[in-house]
Amino acid sequence: MKIFRRVIISLLSIASAFLICAILIKIQRNSPIEVYKALYAYGLGSWFSLSSTLNTATPLIFTGVSAAVAFASGVINLGQHGQLLMGAILTAILGVYLNLPGLIGIPVLVVFGGFAGALWAGVAAVLKKFYRMDEFISTLMLNFIAEYFTIYLATYPFLDKKAYVPATRLIKRIYFMPDVSGLSLAFFVAIFSALISYWYIKKTRSGYELRMMGHNINFARIGGCSVELNTTLVLLLTGFLSGLAGGLLILGGTQHRFMKGIGANFGWDGVMIAIIANNSIIETLFYGLFFGALKNGAIGMEFETAVPSEFILLLQAVIVLVVVGARSAIEYYTQWIRSLAKLKKVVSGND
Amino acid sequence: MIELLLHMFRATLSSATPIMLAALGGMFTYYANIFNIAMEGIMLTGAFFAVYGSYFFGNWFLGLIFALISGLFMAALFALFAIYFRCDQFITGIGINMLALGWTTYALRSTFKVKGALISPKIVPLPKWNIPILDRLGQVGNIFSGHPFLVYMAFASALLLEIIIFNNKFGLHLRATGEDQEAAKSAGIKPIKMKWIATILCGLLSALAGVYLSLGYVTLFSENMSNGRGWISLAIIILVKGRPIGILSLSMIFGLFESVGLILQHYKLAPQFASMIPYLATLFVLYFYGKEKKKLQW
Repeated sequence: MKIFRRVIISLLSIASAFLICAILIKIQRNSPIEVYKALYAYGLGSWFSLSSTLNTATPLIFTGVSAAVAFASGVINLGQHGQLLMGAILTAILGVYLNLPGLIGIPVLVVFGGFAGALWAGVAAVLKKFYRMDEFISTLMLNFIAEYFTIYLATYPFLDKKAYVPATRLIKRIYFMPDVSGLSLAFFVAIFSALISYWYIKKTRSGYELRMMGHNINFARIGGCSVELNTTLVLLLTGFLSGLAGGLLILGGTQHRFMKGIGANFGWDGVMIAIIANNSIIETLFYGLFFGALKNGAIGMEFETAVPSEFILLLQAVIVLVVVGARSAIEYYTQWIRSLAKLKKVVSGND
Repeated sequence: MIELLLHMFRATLSSATPIMLAALGGMFTYYANIFNIAMEGIMLTGAFFAVYGSYFFGNWFLGLIFALISGLFMAALFALFAIYFRCDQFITGIGINMLALGWTTYALRSTFKVKGALISPKIVPLPKWNIPILDRLGQVGNIFSGHPFLVYMAFASALLLEIIIFNNKFGLHLRATGEDQEAAKSAGIKPIKMKWIATILCGLLSALAGVYLSLGYVTLFSENMSNGRGWISLAIIILVKGRPIGILSLSMIFGLFESVGLILQHYKLAPQFASMIPYLATLFVLYFYGKEKKKLQW
């Protein structure tokens, strides 16, 4: 019943977010119905749209699960963007210079990408463990540093001189991620990683410790969890997930090379998805697909209507605010009304 | 060499200003015990609407007004979610920041029909003020004179706020609200009202920081142009525990780092490394702070 109520609240909130944005579109003298129709047609309407939606959702699922696992354990890792970029750049560079047969090379490159992400998150973990620096600010700062550092690498040492924009060279063709009629295998890796993360958080002892840390850190500490060690573990793990996103973006995406802006807004999208999903991994998976559909549909929407694709950034933010606002307001006020009713009963009982 | 140093100090004042304004805004919410991380977003909308007003009305003052209204709106949104809907403040802050990013990026595209950045001669920048005595002091005076007035306002308000927060009824009420809401209530202070005031002031000051970015520091608007300055100001607030004087001095240090980075670009340092400097500096400052804290604990 509780789940049912949650789903209803979420659906209604998303519907009202769409409504709010429809009004905004209307103010700009465009037709909201046509915009949403195009969004649907290009996001989910055909196998082609659907498969590219799933491809678009792949990095979102990774960063979303990364953020969800971190937040659920009370670790504020906001560094998905930087970790993704570090994973992407390492995979892109190794993909040019490494000589391995494709079947071994692809997993090796992806895992290296993950390690690069974990290492970048590890910087924040070291700073947290030894110098008590808030991971929340340090991961944020590391985002900017990673952004500039990767652009530097793609502009100077590893520049492809034939490219029009700063970019690394194309990775070897054998490392391209195979696909099933347009659907990249990277998507299945994403689903698999999400399920593994779910199992880890829900079913293992270590995952239980992490959840307890998220609920109440003092309880976890008294219960005998090594909070410091677990925080480091979470940072490394979530960094690894974001790094995988970066690696797969290079191997499975469309560009197969590192170029400026490849990270897009995936990091923050992941954070938003985790927030809407209330840090539940299964919900993160669904919202990842949902945001993927929006993003993918946006490209077609720009084609068909006068509304630019950046509209989706606004829509996403409105969805986050409305869903989160409605959820916590309903929770708070129902409790308030309930306790008020109880109070009345107690008072009248005393008479 | 001396010329370069003078240039650097001048640039320091200029780069310190947006960080300082946003940090002073965040200071109010810090003392009211609101974990407000929305400075980044409010700064961004402020920067956009300053350009919007200045572009369409050919008047920097209207740009300022537009920016302040946008700051007011965003702050009110934050207060609505954090105070009335009882949302987690951190999550609300992220939501507001994302809204600001989405909104300005979308509006840049749909209103101005450009992608990336809007550069136009129609944007009227903030006027530069010459300080009467200083501008006769030659080169040294040049450091201080001829900045947009927001620079002077930022420095003056940092000093003024130090007095207001620690030696004034309003400051006392604000800090009491943050310290213990129920105790403040019993002393006749309305906590909700104080929280509203703090949030609104934060919105206005952060919006001013945005105005300075897009009409003073440079005269253009580009996507995500606040570029982490709001986060840096948040780090500053946490480091100095909200003291306005501390905010003033730390902002100056960050401004210095930023201007050093700009100057090093002339010496064959890759621009990417130069741009990295403020964020590295934040990490270093936090590192030294953490070391100090550790010493105190043992």
